[in-house]
Amino acid sequence: MSSTAAVGAIDHHHDPTTSTGIPNKKLVMWAFLASDCMFFGCLISTHLIYRLHPPASAPQARQVFSIELTSFSTFILLMSSLMMALAVNAIQKGNLKSLRASLLTTIFFGCIFLGCQVYEFNNFVFEHHMTITNSILGTTFFTLTGTHGTHVAIGVFWLLLMYVRSFQPKDPETRPAWFLGNVAHIAVFIGAILLSGYVLIELAWAMQAGGASPGTLLTFAKAQALAIVGAVACLAGLVRLAKTRGPYDFGEANAIDVEMMGLYWHFVDIVWIVIFTAVYLLEYL
Amino acid sequence: MSAPAAPATTGQPHSLEESKFQIYVQIAMLLAVITGIEIVTVYLPFARWLLVTVLVVFSAVKFLFVIFFFMHLRWDKPFCTVLFFIGLILGGGTMFALLTLFGMKESVPLP
Amino acid sequence: MDALAKSEFLPKEHVSQKPLVLWRPTAKTGLMSWLTTVDHKRIGFLYGFFALIFFLVGGIEALLIRLQLAVPNNHVLTSHQYNEMFTMHATTMIFLAVMPLSAAFFNFIMPLQIGARDVAFPRLNAFSLWTFVAGAIILNIGWFRMDGAPAGGWFGYTPLTTHQFSPHHDIDMWVMGLQLLGVASVAASLNFVVTIINLRAPGMTMMRMPVFTWMTLVTAFLIVLAFPAITIALVELMMDRLFGTNFFEVSNGGMPILWTHLFWVFGHPEVYILILPAMGIISEILPTFSRKPLFGYPIVVFSGASIGFLGFGVWSHHMFTTGMGAMATAAFSLTTMCIAVPTGVKIFNWIGTLWGGHLKMRTPMMFALGFIWLFMIGGFSGVMHAAAPADAQQHNSYFVVAHFHYVLIGGSLFGLLAGIHYWFPLMFGRKISEFWGKVSFWVIFVGFNVTFFPMHFLGLNGMPRRTYTYDADMGWAQGNLIATIGAFILAIGVGIYFVTMIYTFFRGEVTTRDPWDARTLEWSLPNPPPEYNYRFTPHVHARDDWWHFKQHPDEAAAAKAEHEKEDAGHGGIHMPFQSIYPFTAGIGLLIGGIGVSVVDPGSGRKLAIAIIGGVILVVSIYLWSLEGNEGYHLHPEDEEPHS
Repeated sequence: MSSTAAVGAIDHHHDPTTSTGIPNKKLVMWAFLASDCMFFGCLISTHLIYRLHPPASAPQARQVFSIELTSFSTFILLMSSLMMALAVNAIQKGNLKSLRASLLTTIFFGCIFLGCQVYEFNNFVFEHHMTITNSILGTTFFTLTGTHGTHVAIGVFWLLLMYVRSFQPKDPETRPAWFLGNVAHIAVFIGAILLSGYVLIELAWAMQAGGASPGTLLTFAKAQALAIVGAVACLAGLVRLAKTRGPYDFGEANAIDVEMMGLYWHFVDIVWIVIFTAVYLLEYL
Repeated sequence: MSAPAAPATTGQPHSLEESKFQIYVQIAMLLAVITGIEIVTVYLPFARWLLVTVLVVFSAVKFLFVIFFFMHLRWDKPFCTVLFFIGLILGGGTMFALLTLFGMKESVPLP
Repeated sequence: MDALAKSEFLPKEHVSQKPLVLWRPTAKTGLMSWLTTVDHKRIGFLYGFFALIFFLVGGIEALLIRLQLAVPNNHVLTSHQYNEMFTMHATTMIFLAVMPLSAAFFNFIMPLQIGARDVAFPRLNAFSLWTFVAGAIILNIGWFRMDGAPAGGWFGYTPLTTHQFSPHHDIDMWVMGLQLLGVASVAASLNFVVTIINLRAPGMTMMRMPVFTWMTLVTAFLIVLAFPAITIALVELMMDRLFGTNFFEVSNGGMPILWTHLFWVFGHPEVYILILPAMGIISEILPTFSRKPLFGYPIVVFSGASIGFLGFGVWSHHMFTTGMGAMATAAFSLTTMCIAVPTGVKIFNWIGTLWGGHLKMRTPMMFALGFIWLFMIGGFSGVMHAAAPADAQQHNSYFVVAHFHYVLIGGSLFGLLAGIHYWFPLMFGRKISEFWGKVSFWVIFVGFNVTFFPMHFLGLNGMPRRTYTYDADMGWAQGNLIATIGAFILAIGVGIYFVTMIYTFFRGEVTTRDPWDARTLEWSLPNPPPEYNYRFTPHVHARDDWWHFKQHPDEAAAAKAEHEKEDAGHGGIHMPFQSIYPFTAGIGLLIGGIGVSVVDPGSGRKLAIAIIGGVILVVSIYLWSLEGNEGYHLHPEDEEPHS
């Protein structure tokens, strides 16, 4: 009787209550990924079709793209994929600390990838004057990589929620307070990222426009420092307040959820593998 | 915390669990290396069709490593692989058909 | 397989645990019980309820079209109103009537046929339903606004639907409505795939599943793989309309023909999505009323799967006249002819089922026989289309209208109407009057043929589609008048059918269990089935297991008693909790969709409403995940025993 089986004997690859032995969540995620293959297939097709016979006035992709930046972000995404696999591996062995570390690293790399994309988009728009509306290359490029980026962002958000979930206390009484603490925690975290990002981009733009006076730079630097200090202070306070005491309600039984999320994250990575080749590398031939 | 691993129903030896970590790291390094090679390939002075083929093959290799190892298909039930490949083949086939259609001379936009 | 054991992949049950936020809805009656239901039978009923309402709406739109075309140079509708009518008639019938009616059967019947308690993800199932309702609302809001209803055709060809030529919001509503319907359909289909693959009762191998369940599986695969294409097409169109991108903007290098391709990459599998469920229903009805097993079960299953797969390779047969070039045209012509083969195979198998059987001409059987005949005629005109040179004349003419109405009404609708009559006793415990059922069948059959058969000739004589009027000297007047008369006869037939159905629902003759002496598992249940479906998980020994059980009562009873003893030790039936979050997530999508499609840009209100909708959606999903998927236990042995 499975309800009396020892916790450590969970077989992560076999669910005896299903007809095939494949856990339902894993099956549904693979079916969804099959669907997403068609989704990205059509979107990548649109881009490639429009690259077959580009109009004469099109911007030259080779001049616009920066292969160094894209290679760097490709490498980052691959590393995030590794960390995700390690996270799943960790939770299947019930190792919470290792899970959290791996999840956090995955999130971190995911954020770097997104940051690179934001920078790249800004660069293309403001430096190379390729926008989503003024050329067909801009339209297909930004839509395709933007959709992929949205998938990454959703993944990062999901990872963040999973990370927070791993701290849920077993004791039902303390949960509401913990939950509210988390909401505040996440809100401050997101706010700090957005604020810092905005300030950074403004700064970068001002510098590139070539007219940033020392006064402006100093103001930006002060605002940036203030935002960072404020965010760190809030986070530290919340970490202190929100830290749970007692055992956590997260363990091997939750490995299937982490694995399901991992499948999504790896898929986002393999779509990028295809995009990197089809959208970037092919332009250089 | 995990109880001592008594693999009741899987038959997967404890050593495989340990070495999975190492497999993952090794594959990640392999993927990084292949990505580096791809970037270099782009600048090589060979025929375009050859370079495109090489790039596509490298991408496919990376793709397959991620799905079979990171996404665990190698150790899961075969049906998961079948399910995903249905979507993959259909998506790839549709892409191929669309590109062929738009590549034909009748589909070239009028100047 | 230990089906009744709780999966390790579900969290341990905390019976006394309160959920983190809000409450667990427990109402079993009243409005809240419907809004929070996760029971596949109730969800199926709701799909059917909405589908039948929209079927009437689509029917009225059709009658208005026929009124306008009854005589030459008519003035019932303006040209713009006519465009709205044919667009909405098609969109409503396809997405809001036939597909949800099929979904009603997938939901209600399929889990019963495989011996399951519910689908794999009950709350996701409810989410699909409410998202469908949200999409239906957005599609039809236009009727109440200055923008008018969508008027770009059900296939929305660019550049007509780009902002330049359709500056009002009607197309935005069309796009957004379809996107939501796509989300609903894909979510539901993912659920069905997992349910059929993973939740079958012990002994129910894939090749012992009823054909209706097989067709559900193939349709679910089609939906999951075909909808992404239209999702992308709609995203591209929406971006062109809202943000001025260049996907279909010729002056900046866009190609409108790309829309046509992407749409039909979806559109062709869509028509198989529309017909396969009806084929599944027919494959249940014919054996029951011939008192013979289905002829060539493995071939019928394999043909269904082949049709699904091949259906992805024929889409450009909707585009023979777009100048793709001889090679492409020939290739698609060939693949289209190939797909006629598995379809024909199925027809032969159905005839083989009837052959030598002891035929019982009840109403469901009448509709089923009508299906075979009428679908075959539709298939003939389809094969004529497959020949590209012939299609060059037929394309865009009423010949096409005749073809698809024969396969969609004669095929899909007849199958679904048959299914309603067939499964009515199981779902509601009442049997529809044979007399009135047969009357409705004949009036529908006659009305349908009088309407659509003349259209073959109208088409071959050159009458184009989607044109709001025609001149008296074209020679089309007689055919059109006959078609209009037929349409009203058809309407009367549908009216009789509906009145009979509604009357029976409230006051019909109460029936015993298994009134048709049927073959498949769902008929072993009391009618209507209890909330938990099967008291004890059935153990399946053969195809058509219920028939097998009736034919071998002694050994079957002994085996059953043994299994029941085993099951009784498992501690009650595990049922999922109800939840409000699928409904609130649907509300979020509705508000967000309205913000994106209906509100005028410029004042900031558009973004605000869209964001509010998005926030409601995300919060709902978050609370849904926090709620967890625990359930509660039912102990039916504590209740009154029923036969």
